[in-house]
Amino acid sequence: MSARYGMVIDLDRCTGCGSCMVACAAENNVPPPVPRATPRTGLTPMLVRKLSNGKDGADLREAFIPITCMQCEHETPCVSVCPQQAVEVDKSTGIVMQIPQRCLGCRYCMTACPYHARYFNWWDPQWPPGMEKSLNPGVSVRMRGVVEKCNLCHARFHTANEKAAAAGKTQIDPADYVPACVEACPTGAILFGDLADANDPVSTAAHSPDAFRLLARIGTEPKIHYRTTQAWIRTLADKNSDRPTEAQHV
Amino acid sequence: MKVSRRDLLVGGAGVTAGFLFTPVPWKLLGDVSIWTQNWPWIPQPAHGPVDTKQSACTLCAAGCGIRVRMAAGWPVGISGVKTNPMTKGTLCPLGFAAHQLNWHPQRLREVRHRGRTASWADAQTAFEKACTEGPVAIFDGRPGRAASSVLQAFAAKHNGSYRVVPSPETQALTPYADWSGVPVSALGYDLENARTIVSFGASLLDGWGTPGRFTHLWSEKAAGATDPQLRLLQIEPTLSRSAARAWRWIPIREGSEGALATGLARVLLEERLVATQSPMAPMTLEDAAAQTGLGTEAIRDLARTLVEQRPTLVIAADGNPAIAALNHLLGAVGSPGGIALKSKPNLSHVRPQPNIGPNRAVLLDSSVPWDFVPETTAEVFRFAAWDGGSSKADWLLPSPGFLEELTDVPTAPTSAVDTYAVSVNLIQQSEEVKNTAQFLAKIDSTLPDVEKLIHSRCEEIFGAKLGMVFAEQQTPVTKFESAQKLEEQLRQGAIWMGNPPKPGGFRCILQEWPARTAPSHTSDWAAAWLPPVLPPLAAKLYQESNLRDVPARREV
Repeated sequence: MSARYGMVIDLDRCTGCGSCMVACAAENNVPPPVPRATPRTGLTPMLVRKLSNGKDGADLREAFIPITCMQCEHETPCVSVCPQQAVEVDKSTGIVMQIPQRCLGCRYCMTACPYHARYFNWWDPQWPPGMEKSLNPGVSVRMRGVVEKCNLCHARFHTANEKAAAAGKTQIDPADYVPACVEACPTGAILFGDLADANDPVSTAAHSPDAFRLLARIGTEPKIHYRTTQAWIRTLADKNSDRPTEAQHV
Repeated sequence: MKVSRRDLLVGGAGVTAGFLFTPVPWKLLGDVSIWTQNWPWIPQPAHGPVDTKQSACTLCAAGCGIRVRMAAGWPVGISGVKTNPMTKGTLCPLGFAAHQLNWHPQRLREVRHRGRTASWADAQTAFEKACTEGPVAIFDGRPGRAASSVLQAFAAKHNGSYRVVPSPETQALTPYADWSGVPVSALGYDLENARTIVSFGASLLDGWGTPGRFTHLWSEKAAGATDPQLRLLQIEPTLSRSAARAWRWIPIREGSEGALATGLARVLLEERLVATQSPMAPMTLEDAAAQTGLGTEAIRDLARTLVEQRPTLVIAADGNPAIAALNHLLGAVGSPGGIALKSKPNLSHVRPQPNIGPNRAVLLDSSVPWDFVPETTAEVFRFAAWDGGSSKADWLLPSPGFLEELTDVPTAPTSAVDTYAVSVNLIQQSEEVKNTAQFLAKIDSTLPDVEKLIHSRCEEIFGAKLGMVFAEQQTPVTKFESAQKLEEQLRQGAIWMGNPPKPGGFRCILQEWPARTAPSHTSDWAAAWLPPVLPPLAAKLYQESNLRDVPARREV
């Protein structure tokens, strides 16, 4: 049976330290931002956003929500609009793959993505002289003019597969495939695993009463789940919903 | 047949439209997109043998365990070491991109004298001359290292003084050292056994102390729980990252931390909530309420909570003695879950020498924070791996960057247990850089050698037969055959940890209630970060997101 890799991000555990963002960028050879890059034009396959309940004084509350590609399972919007087949859903893993070599940079996928989890590469990837020695050899550097997004550290999946194959196994060891953001999270806020495996902790967490998905009402069935015990975060996370959703039932 | 202009246009349009229905243009587009992914000026990762090594991070005094992925001899990725008993696989966000720092545009690669290029020989001559003309002061930002012993030895032999620039965490422990006579380096926080932690502005969940230690503890005992095993009360004017995740955030007026501590002490003593003998806090509860902006009842409630939820540990962001005195009142000094005395005094307790008279020269080790500028008219020699743009140093001396030198990592300032690790140079040190010990050894060849000092410290640990070495497996020191074997393990990224602290062993005596009640301050997320630059990828945190503000006085 094929796997369905996904995450459950516990917002009550996220301190907004940003380790996941930096680890993701280092793992995936994301270049340092040019001086004029902004949150809108920068490259942040993993982006932690700050949420606030909007109140004043001692009633003010803040939380942090890591946003990444939601790995939509059903009618994946970016796949259906891509004219170049540069986005594919890997049937054996459920990972939504971005293939930069095929990408024309038309940005239809960015428009189609309801989560704003895709980024256009506006500038040539450049590092200060010598810093290219620090690049991860397992991940290719992408040129400007292509769209980028999280692919659940697919290079790590390949490495785990190779290791399993070398050991004569057909299944990877779950400990060998952990995305960089999951590995970096100091509070263990990000659970990663196979949602199709009922015994996997991520699967259990995804079905807990505290769990919800962003924009669940549009039916894309994201494989990135969130959980929190705080009602205001859940309401805010899906505040534009016009009918009862998974996000509002608690 | 005559071809009209109209026929030409129609034919042209037809050909164009028909062409679009063939695969040719789309194939060409696809080919172009592939071709343009491979411009020759786009950097390619270096390919070569891939290896993983363990070491200790040397960016700050925390010394977190790091796993370094190497490719073609260069570090290409950093992650935490799960077997490290202090950090348990966690790192701060800066650590994940630290391997890129050695190529930071502001990396110092040449000796500079008042803004002009100079040579090591010039710097050496100038420093030797200064040593003969008058006293020199040598500042160390991370005492207890083997290199610190070299600095101390040089100062002792050359009419100099050895001084320490304490970290904010060390400053917060200083009042207990003053009241008990125990060296500050022998003190730490027993976070693991506390039930309630009251932070007066200390960024406990954001880089304080050994960043992963408290974060991991909080995630195990408090995160997401309505009735947590560990209660974090964050007292500070703004909703910081720690306050946002605290069990309770208590907003007070800026700079009124000391007043609140004094008000709390007043309640504890007046209502006889604690049995500790102490002079009466001089501030009335009403005054404390007026200064902090909290009601008197809120302060009373808070005081009762501190007592009911014991063991309670109070942590200040700085050395405000009024806040420290609360631990004394709550009986948290020398008790489990309080201020701990390390089981064995640190390997090298530093007693900074007083500032005696004017100095001819001041030498700042690369461990001294860039923000620290001694107020002196003396000639300043500053070692640094990165140029922070300071005009306060006469000499800027390029020192080894990240993972470029052999050094040891003694106990972190907030740790309640002694630890010792070794960080080997995974990258070859380039010829144009020198560390302070190498520089001083050129002047005085009789100074102790860092490598030999590390060896003798391993012998000390081996001889004491205490504690455990944490690598893939945990090995008691008693199981090691020799000091060499132990050193070998430490050089491969293991960490030695002493025995846990025993209750008691020291006590504080307060003759009078500390007069200083204000101002205090909150700690900065990058306060522990000593170099003047941040890894370029750290810009993701504030330039390409709204997650953080740009840290003050730091270049990216």
